[in-house]
Amino acid sequence: MNVSGELAGELFVWSMIVGIGVATFLIRYAPIALLARLELPAWLTQALRYVPPAVMAAIIAPPLFFADGAPTIHPDLARIAAATLAAAVAWRTRSTLWTVVLGMLALWGLQALPG
Amino acid sequence: MPQVASARAEFLVGMRAFAPLSMSIIPFGVVCGAAASTAGLTPLQASAMSWVIFAGSAQIAATQLFASGAPLLVILATAAIVNLRFLMYAASLATHFRGQNRRWQALIAYLLTDQAFGLTIVHRTQHPERQTDLRWFYLGVAGATWLAWQLATIAGILLGSLVPPSWSLDFIVPLTFIAMVVPLLSDRAMCLAAAAGALASVLLVLPLKLNLIGAALIGVVVGVVAEKLWSRA
Repeated sequence: MNVSGELAGELFVWSMIVGIGVATFLIRYAPIALLARLELPAWLTQALRYVPPAVMAAIIAPPLFFADGAPTIHPDLARIAAATLAAAVAWRTRSTLWTVVLGMLALWGLQALPG
Repeated sequence: MPQVASARAEFLVGMRAFAPLSMSIIPFGVVCGAAASTAGLTPLQASAMSWVIFAGSAQIAATQLFASGAPLLVILATAAIVNLRFLMYAASLATHFRGQNRRWQALIAYLLTDQAFGLTIVHRTQHPERQTDLRWFYLGVAGATWLAWQLATIAGILLGSLVPPSWSLDFIVPLTFIAMVVPLLSDRAMCLAAAAGALASVLLVLPLKLNLIGAALIGVVVGVVAEKLWSRA
């Protein structure tokens, strides 16, 4: 890469980091600083409840169905099975530690299977 | 000075409350640091993500988008959507930290995480009599979370390249999200929002890597509509 290309890359990364940092701080700060005076409208509070499940599910699913970054749907059966087991563990134990440990062990076990 | 003593005691209670969570935050942080350095960020940039942004889900989402060549605005918008949940946490905490000065409010905001929010609300409910020192409890939890996160991402940046990809340690990321999302599925509308988000993220074909934003919005709309319909029935 030439010098100006490297500089553009640096600028891109720092804009990304600082931009997300500022946006994140404002999202965290605004309600604490302002809510003494104003309250979130009811429809917004209602909609915000659904952001975590929708976002997290949308982060979890793609790597299971596009194995190795495939451009078309290509299910990774070992990962899907391990993720399903991990969901059951999370439901039973409510423990992140057990979910991660048993999910990883399940994936390694399934990957070690012949075929 | 009994006041100083009780503040310090609450700070330590907060740090101790964080201890069991460190077992789940540290692996996530290590993977986050390793992912950032694999995506081509310098060690300084990768560690700056952790102290400038200090939000694991947004850091991972941004790193993945950056690695896939997404435009800057899409990365910023996606990270903002992933972090919208903090609006809800901060609104809830605002009722408890209303009287604090600007400096405390800024510190509380900067350190806000899923863990600090969750543990503080539980502590507030279990010990209403310790309300005056709640900020010290919060600072104990959040400070410990911050330190663990910084050290874990630095470890990931330094060691990430040494772990062979065949170990599939990147799978820790979806596993951590599974552990976070499952307890949220307390009613049908929440389940439907998650299912719609997952389905849309796989089936939706959007340009410029807008998939996560599109899927999140569809999930939220489905959740809200389902709640409306079921509450009317």
